[in-house]
Formats: sequence, C-alpha cells, structure tokens
Amino acid sequence: MPLDRAGAAGAAAQIDRSDGRLGGEAARLTSITKSFYGQAANEDVDFDLRWGEIHALLGENGAGKSTLCSVLAGLYHPDSGEIRLDGEQVELRSPHHALEQGVGMVYQHFRLVERFTVAENLALGHPDTKVLASRKELERQVAELGRRYGLEAAPEAGVWQLSVGEQQRVEILKLLHRGVRILILDEPTAVLTPQEARSLFATMRALADEGRAIIFVSHKLDEVMEVSDRVSVLRDGRMVGSMEIAEADPARLARMMVGRDLAVPDRPRIEAGAPVLSITGLTAAGDRGIEAVRNVDIEVRASQIVGVAGVAGNGQRELAEAIAGLRRIEHGQIFLGGVDITRASPRQRIRLGLGFVPEDRMRTGMAGGLPLPANLALKAYRRPPLSRGPLLSKRAMDDRARRLEHRFDIRGVRWGLPTSLLSGGNIQRAILARELSAGPKVLVAAAPTRGLDVAAIQAIRRLLLEEREAGTAILMISEDLEEIMELSDEIVVLYEGRIMGRLEPGQASPEVLGMLMAGRTVDPA
Amino acid sequence: MNLAVGAREIVVERRPLPPLWVRAAAPTFSVFFGLVIGAVIIWAAGQDPVLAYTEMVKKGFLGRLPLIGTLVIATPLILTGLAALVAFRMKIWNIGAEGQLIMGAVASAGMGLWIGDGVGGPVGIVIMLAAGAAAGALWAALAALPRAYFNTDEVISTLMLNFVALNIMNYLIFSSISYWRDAERVTFPSGRGISEILFLPRLSGRLHIGLFIAVAAAAVLWWALRYTRWGFEVQVTGDSPRAARYAGMGVDRKILSVLMVSGALAGLAGGIEVGGVLHSLDPRALSLGVGFAGIVVAALARLSPFGVVPVAVFVASITNAGPGLQSIGVSSEVVLMLEGILFLCIVAGEWFLRNTIRVQPAAGSPAARPA
Repeated sequence: MPLDRAGAAGAAAQIDRSDGRLGGEAARLTSITKSFYGQAANEDVDFDLRWGEIHALLGENGAGKSTLCSVLAGLYHPDSGEIRLDGEQVELRSPHHALEQGVGMVYQHFRLVERFTVAENLALGHPDTKVLASRKELERQVAELGRRYGLEAAPEAGVWQLSVGEQQRVEILKLLHRGVRILILDEPTAVLTPQEARSLFATMRALADEGRAIIFVSHKLDEVMEVSDRVSVLRDGRMVGSMEIAEADPARLARMMVGRDLAVPDRPRIEAGAPVLSITGLTAAGDRGIEAVRNVDIEVRASQIVGVAGVAGNGQRELAEAIAGLRRIEHGQIFLGGVDITRASPRQRIRLGLGFVPEDRMRTGMAGGLPLPANLALKAYRRPPLSRGPLLSKRAMDDRARRLEHRFDIRGVRWGLPTSLLSGGNIQRAILARELSAGPKVLVAAAPTRGLDVAAIQAIRRLLLEEREAGTAILMISEDLEEIMELSDEIVVLYEGRIMGRLEPGQASPEVLGMLMAGRTVDPA
Repeated sequence: MNLAVGAREIVVERRPLPPLWVRAAAPTFSVFFGLVIGAVIIWAAGQDPVLAYTEMVKKGFLGRLPLIGTLVIATPLILTGLAALVAFRMKIWNIGAEGQLIMGAVASAGMGLWIGDGVGGPVGIVIMLAAGAAAGALWAALAALPRAYFNTDEVISTLMLNFVALNIMNYLIFSSISYWRDAERVTFPSGRGISEILFLPRLSGRLHIGLFIAVAAAAVLWWALRYTRWGFEVQVTGDSPRAARYAGMGVDRKILSVLMVSGALAGLAGGIEVGGVLHSLDPRALSLGVGFAGIVVAALARLSPFGVVPVAVFVASITNAGPGLQSIGVSSEVVLMLEGILFLCIVAGEWFLRNTIRVQPAAGSPAARPA
C-alpha cells in the first residue's frame, strides 16, 4: 500500500505534529547570498516562514524571488547563509533531500512525465512505491487525496491530456503525496485562468488551515492582498521588508516593489507629427494558443516614443511579433504610414519602413554564427549595392559593415568570426545599426537595453532619442521603468495582454505604474 | 556537460577554435591515429599491417589503373557528398541521397532508352543527365513539401523514400518485364543497354568525364553558396531560421529549394553512373550505399564544397583497395572495420578541436544551474 504513509492518514499524522506549533517558526533563512557568474541574485536575504500561514513573496522580474525559493527547495546551494527548518539548522543538498525534510516546490515549468498517468506520476520516485504496485489501489488513493484538497484530477488520465491548470494540481498532489509540510508555489497563477486561480486559492487556504506553511510567489498585488497572511518584498536581490497583510496596502507594496524614485529627465521637447503606426483592436494568440494580446489600441506618431510598460510575460513579446509580422493576428488592424499591413508578410513590412529590434537578440535579431557583415546585411541584401539581381557583392557587404561599425561605434569586431562573440552591448549596437541605417518610419524596440552594462545602456538610449528627433515613430517595449520614464512621450501599461492604463510621463509615479503593472486599475484622479 | 564519478566530475567544455595550422593538420593526425588502431586489428587478425597498408596505397593510388579505379568510384561520391552538404548547410537532414540517386538512374536510363540513337552526342547526353537530376529533385520534393509546409520530420521521410526507390528499381528489373529490362535475358535479369552514342566520353581507360562534371558541380555550389542571394539566405536560415523569418526570407520555399538541389545532385550522380559506367539500369551496382557514403564524405569535408573532392577520393581509394587487400588475405570485414575506424577517428579529431575535457573535484550541489 504505497500511498498509506504519506497519503491521507500520513498527512493527518504530520499535521498533528505541527498543530501544536501553529504559528510557530517553520523555516528561517538568514543572510542568504547566491550569485550566478558574479551577479548576486540574492544578497544577504533574511526570510522567515510560520506554520499555518500563506506567505507571499512579491517583486519585479529578476528581483530574486525564484532564486530564494530554489535555495529553500534545495535546488541551489547558497554561497553563504543559514537555513533552519523547524528550528534546526540544515544543509539542503538537493531537491530530493529537501523533500525528505518536508520542503517541496512547484516550479513554473512543470516536472511531470507527460506520457505517464496522474497516478503513475505520483508513484514515480515515491519511496514507498512497490515494484509491483496495484494500479487500481494507486488510483483509488490518488482520487481520495485529490478530493480532500479540492485538487481533482482523474488519476487514470495521461498527463499529456491535461490542461495547464490540471497539471499544476498534479504537481501539488505529488508534493502532498510525498508529505511536504512547506509548499512553495513559484508564480502559480501565471498560467491559470481566473477561475482556476480561485480554486487554487481555496486549496492553499485549506492546506494552511491544516498547519502547513505556504510560500506564494507573485507579482500581482490583488492576489497577494487577497490570499496571503503575510507578505515579503524583494527588490534587486535584497529583502526590502516583510509585514502582516493587515498592515499592507497596495500603494505601499507597489512603492516597495519598484523602489527608486523615478525622475523625468530633461530631453528636447519635440512636437509629435502625424500618426505613423496605428494599431486598433489587436488580438493575437500566444504560443500555447490562448490569447496573449487582447484588443490593444496603440497609436505612435512621428517623432514620438510610446513606451509599453509591464511585467514580462504580459503579452509584450507577442505584441511586438504581431507588429513585425512574425505572429498571426486574430483580430484587429495595423496601419503603417496609412497602409494596412495586418496581413502583410514580414518582408513587405520591412519594405514599408518597419524596423524591429527583437528581445531575442542572438537567435532572432542575429544569425549569431555568421560574421558581422552578413548580419548587418540581413535586411538590405536584396537591393543594390549589396546585390544585383541574384548576385551578391561580398565587397559591398564588407564596406557597408566597416562604415556602420565606425558610425555606430561597434567594438570588438573580429572580421570573419561569428557575431555571437561580440559582447551584448555591441550586438545590440549592431542590431540598431542595421535597423536604423535602413531609415525606418517606425521602429519597434523590445527590451532594448536588457542585460547591458551602464555605458551600453546610455548609448542605446541616446540612439533612440536621436532617432526620435529624426522623425521616426518609436514603440519601445521595456520592463525597465526608469527607461520607460526617461524615454517615453506616452506610456501604456500592458497587463495580461490588455492595456491597463495610458499615462503621460509626468503623471506616472512609481506607485501608479507599479499598481497598473500589477493589474490594479487606478482612478485618473 | 558534466559527469560525476565519485568525488570527481568530468567536465566537457567548448573551446575557441585553435589556429588554422592546427585545424589543417588535425585530420592527418586523426588518420594516422586510426591507422595505428587499424594496425592492431589487422595484426590481431593474423596479417602483417605494414604489408596491408602498403598494399592499400598501391591498390588505391599508385599506377594508372588503381588511380583510375579510385577516381571512377569517387565521381558519384563527390556528387552525393555535395547533396548531403547543401542540405546540411541549412540543417536539413537529407539522408535520402541513396533513393534520389536511384531515381536519377532510373530516369536517366529511361530517357537514354527512349532517345535511342535519335539524338546524337552531347545533346542526348545532356538530356539524359538532366532527366536524372530532375528525377532526383522531384523525389526529394516528396519529402521536402511536407517538411516545408507541415514541418514533418525529413529524416524519416527521406530515409523511407530510399526503400521505396530501391524497390521500384528492383521491380523494374527483377519482377516485371518493364521498359528498362532486357527481355532476352531471363535467367539473369538485367537492364537493357542504352545506345553507345549516349555513353559519357572517356578520358583514359574507364575514367569518364563524369569526374569533371562532379568537380564542376562542387565549384558551382561553392560559388552559389558564397556569391548569390540564394546562398546567403541558405546560410542565414541554416544558422537561425528565426533570424531568417525576421529578415523576411521565405523559409518554407528555401527548404523546398535546398532539398530539391540536394536531390538533383544525387540524381545526377545516378545519371552519371548509368551514362558513364553501367550503361543500363543495374540494380546491383546502384545499391552499394553511395548515397549514404555521401553523408560521411560531407561530414569529413566539414561541409566545404571543395573539401568534398579530396575526401571523396580518399574514401574511394579505400573501397578501391578492398579487393587487393583481400587478395593478400585481409578479409573484407577487416577492410570495412578499418574504414569505420578511420572515419570515427576523423570525427573524434574534429570534436577534440572544439572541446576539452577536464577532471575536477565535484561541485557542492550537482544541480546548481542558474535559472
């Protein structure tokens, strides 16, 4: 009877143990530091967790939430710091080891065997699974466990047949089956419909009421306010603060999350010209087939930068790809300089004057294995002087590359070697060199400075501002609020594929932007 | 890639490309290394390795007849090598050169028989070879169309089409009284001979102008990949299909055109075999795996069109020396093993040019990878 110990009866036994200490300390992390390639993802982070609570972990992308959770789940070994479980200091050697200590995590990318059934996935790797387990018995126990916690998933169903929400339930069931007492959910609602999220919250509450401790990672303020008992906020790898949810209010949390005061820099005021890019009612599906961009209206005028703000994964990539012609458009229309390009091929859009700096620089923006002259010619190679008829002029390509290298200050070029050997900043300069040298009417720039060093960031931003002065209509998509505030003439905030709000940079305080990005509507007053 | 062994782990890392002279010398070293391993095997099989290797060079290269034999075998290998190369450049895995070669031979033989004495000399030969190339291209298109438009796996489809082609050819000669079959020969079924005026002109002995055609094809392919828009698009698509789509290149049509060019080269190899060597549709001589060997040739040549020529000659020389080696007592199995070991060593040498192996104490947490 493989399920008995950690199954229904076993879970009850463990709850008895923790019941006496409801509200007592479940886990304490002290001075956790973890770096990757010299970059600190967590720096001197303190965090504590109590039995019976839902503890939300809030922060922007890259704030270090997932890293902290992975440290507690045994996936990462911290560079320094101390972990205590139930008051006892432990060293978590692996996720498996953490699981034995009662700590389990549901990752953003599920770890299920797609070809197995639900029951098989639960039995897999379970210490009590017999070599010859009874399938019937197994399925009966899984069904019972599911009913107890409102995590219903047909035990005999294959995982490949399940929706994302159902797969998540199986992940949680798997951990409960292993008897976890500390359950970590890394952005669980990111993949759920609102109804599924509601049922997940009910389950979380039921588990907490039994005495388990739950860490709930999110960047959505509403959810955090709704389900958690306490909240801790991370920013740039550091712990900014923890509080009871009763003491928290959305505006305060938003300020903690975004942090820095955002100043509007001075830059030349330019009168925006006529509308060049008009997007109306744009709806496009994401890779999973569900709508990622929903009924979006954006207008960009000549000499104007419209900044699209939002937490990554809220439809930005899909929006950019739909404009560039790399993603099918379900509804709505896109006009470029008065021409309807809704159904135009990427090539036609390029010819009509659309420049695009994609967020995926190495594989979409560049063919990284080819040398720089080829990459700089990626869009201009069809016309003289780079080609005449079907013939290509290598020399013209090289000449052009040398000119652009000089004009855009691309450094570290080694002729004949793959472009991917350049640094991130120089690759981005090269992409901009190619896109801007084509004299675009409209430039769509996605995450233009992500991952770059300060000098490169400044250079790229200057290029964008110069291009604006030259009359180009620029749609800039960025998760970096400073960048949005510094460059945009108008800001739109995307949340779950919809536009949550439109602001002038003057009206945009960190609180307002933070709340919009986290899905709260803000009164214009 | 890490492999933990007790308290230590073996780490494989990519390294920057070594200087040109090291890269140029590496294959020579690899071949030498392979010959040393081969010597042990020949010795273990009870033969004298020195004698065997001397014989191999003698029967593969030295003298007019061995050289001609090698070059005749190399001719179709160059073409199937190019066929594999052009597809691999775009990371399209055409392993159907075997079938495309066979269909090329079927079409060339059919066209040759149909022309008869009607069109003399060069024109007839050109028509005959063009038919072979076209048939190879169309056979490749059977796999290319679903690959381009429905993203089916070309490895499976091209591989399976090999067997279809092989069985079509066998049916035409062994199992039916077809247009291709010599009706008078009943006990030993064979193909009907094409007219002598369609034989490829000979240069010396059995050596025919097919070799020039193959070398010219290598030159044209090199030029086309380097100096045409088509070649540029192939390079970009091969490196990153997403970048190609982003740049507005029609990726679907590029897949189709590359696979058809690949098929045409293999089909041309089949046509040249019929016109230059066999002079009829001969299933026994056309199913020796020249199409598959082309994959090896392309890989050993590092996908360089000009590299294909010497590599094909080298591979052909071993095949050509096979009978000679057997005559001194080295069995054909040992010859095949030797061939395999040499290829393996060359491929391994390539790998060591790009990677290093290090043994170090195992890190604290085996799963420590950044998110």
